[in-house]
Amino acid sequence: MVSASSVEIRKVNKHYGTFHALKDIDLVIPPGKVTCLIGPSGSGKSTLLRCVNFLEEYDSGEVLIDGTMIGYEAPGKKMPGRKLREMRRSIGMVFQQFNLWPHMTARENVAEGLIRVRGLSKSEAHRRAADALAKVGLADKMANHPSRLSGGQQQRVAIARAIAMEPRLMLFDEPTSALDPELVGEVLNVMKTLASEGMTMVVVTHEMGFAAHVADQVVFMEKGELVGVDSPDRILHHPEDARIQSFLRTYHERNSF
Amino acid sequence: MFSISVFLESFGPLFWAARYTLLISVLGIGLGLVIGTLICAARLSPYVWLRRFAMLWVSFLRGVPLLVQLLVFYYTLPVIGLDVPAMVAAVVTVGICASAYISEIWRGAIAALPKGQAEAAIAIGMTPQDVWIRVILPQAFNLSLPALINELILLVKASSLVSVVGILEITRASQAQAATTFRPLEVYIAAACIYLLINLCLAVLGRYLEHRTAI
Amino acid sequence: MDWSILQQYGPGLLSGFGTTILCWLLGTVFGMALGLVLALAQRYGARWLNRVIQVYVEIIRGTPFLVQLFVLYYGGPLVGLRLDALPAGLLGLTVYGSPYFAEIFRSGFRAVPHGQIEAARAIGMTEASIVRRILLPLGLVSSLPALVNFSIILTKETVILSIITVPELMYQVQRMSTETFRYLEANLVLALFFWALVEAISNAGRWLEARITKHLVERT
Repeated sequence: MVSASSVEIRKVNKHYGTFHALKDIDLVIPPGKVTCLIGPSGSGKSTLLRCVNFLEEYDSGEVLIDGTMIGYEAPGKKMPGRKLREMRRSIGMVFQQFNLWPHMTARENVAEGLIRVRGLSKSEAHRRAADALAKVGLADKMANHPSRLSGGQQQRVAIARAIAMEPRLMLFDEPTSALDPELVGEVLNVMKTLASEGMTMVVVTHEMGFAAHVADQVVFMEKGELVGVDSPDRILHHPEDARIQSFLRTYHERNSF
Repeated sequence: MFSISVFLESFGPLFWAARYTLLISVLGIGLGLVIGTLICAARLSPYVWLRRFAMLWVSFLRGVPLLVQLLVFYYTLPVIGLDVPAMVAAVVTVGICASAYISEIWRGAIAALPKGQAEAAIAIGMTPQDVWIRVILPQAFNLSLPALINELILLVKASSLVSVVGILEITRASQAQAATTFRPLEVYIAAACIYLLINLCLAVLGRYLEHRTAI
Repeated sequence: MDWSILQQYGPGLLSGFGTTILCWLLGTVFGMALGLVLALAQRYGARWLNRVIQVYVEIIRGTPFLVQLFVLYYGGPLVGLRLDALPAGLLGLTVYGSPYFAEIFRSGFRAVPHGQIEAARAIGMTEASIVRRILLPLGLVSSLPALVNFSIILTKETVILSIITVPELMYQVQRMSTETFRYLEANLVLALFFWALVEAISNAGRWLEARITKHLVERT
């Protein structure tokens, strides 16, 4: 496994018009560990995640990847596109809606970045794409277009697309929220394997079971604020903050019958 | 060089001729509405022959260039013994051509209505006629107003073609003007400006109506 | 039926047919190309450029094609633009079609889900690569029905070129009918010809669309 990145978030703020989406967020994501972001919808956890690869532009503060600020060269001065792309090369991202390119087969989806961004030859890219797809258990679906794959399979292709680039950091934005319940497991299993290999992973999720068993640290957010950062046990089983307690109570009520 | 004075002087006669452009367009869309509604009714009727006829009507009129239609009608009328002024022939042609598009606009609007609405009306015991008159048609009309205004804009532009059968609307008038002044550039740009003005007004009207009928 | 008429006018009609098809094809291709440039400029260009294009679009869409041709063909020489009828006609078709094509491409681009663009950005693809590999192929596919539709409209607009003496089919048929006094028959045949042509193009368009979108449709 290649080296794993660390992320440091310092005093990050984000506004949408008058809405204050992220309020003075401070967070350290240690290398090689799994960090889960949880919290009610609209709490800003996806926004924070998207600031890490600068798909979302933060207004103030700093997001440092291995000590280098992403998006800005200095406060208020955007980084040139070339440098931003270079940083993004080592950050993989998996989206809630998969976002596979429908006009390419699974293998072409994975190979595309290797060819256009890493500059590999087509045959080499396709060989590596095959390896990545085998790793997520889809060796037999390489020639399928996304429309011929189930949601779980599509999301695994999306993960393969990200890991084929050999990232040092993986961002997951609610990777199982768009899936039918019976397909969630296959995606979580692939993510567990990645975690066990020592990849730095930041996961926005509503799967408390995954957070409890796989995460090294859990971050709870609400209304754009970071409420708590601690071990999964302390956040999920022995929360002290009333807001976390109330969130978990609602969660358990919804998921029991 | 572009002569501003020729350009400005062209507006007088062209505005005068714009009456005919508007007359043909408005009468054309009126006739098109009447025929188009009948064609749409035929298209949605339970009789297979009526449906086929309507489909053929729409397909033919949408497949043949308006200029060709115009000449066909223009030359057909005397053959079947109708000696009508060119103006009437022009309006009839434009109206018939518009009917094909208007019937499709109706059909689209009716299809866009949620099926549940007709079902709800039937469920409370309305007769089929009432369902059409009280529920479907009023909404379809509102839905299709922007498309009808758009059709009117298309007709204003299409009416320039009736200049070939000698009707003195904007385009024909500008040809005459260009021939007398030997300044076609200024005259035709003036004509373009008048068309643009008419169509911008119609577009504004369309947006207003769309806004007003928005639910 | 008097076959000698066909013998006499056959070659003219045939060359008119060729010119019509040529005008339609080139007008469609050039108009599409210009429309694509306009649509990309509107998506990626500066705000002032966007405004300029918007004004161009309004002017072309607000005026009749015939008047545009008159400005170009009869007005052009006054500002040094001297073109023969055929090139003037082709230029006219290109200009006339471009804003409609631009509008079609613009909404085609809008139909590409933003997430698919973001996914490409997230792996570090350049904007140029994203346009070429993601935006264009997907945008073109969703524009296809509208593109076919508008190219059919252009087919019909080609007859207007006869008024500025482009020797296409309509022009040849009018010449023939004034010499033989068979106005009605000649125009009826012309109408049937265009009807068949338009039906053929729209069928071909449907076939093409079904073929291209085969992979993009969710299997049910």
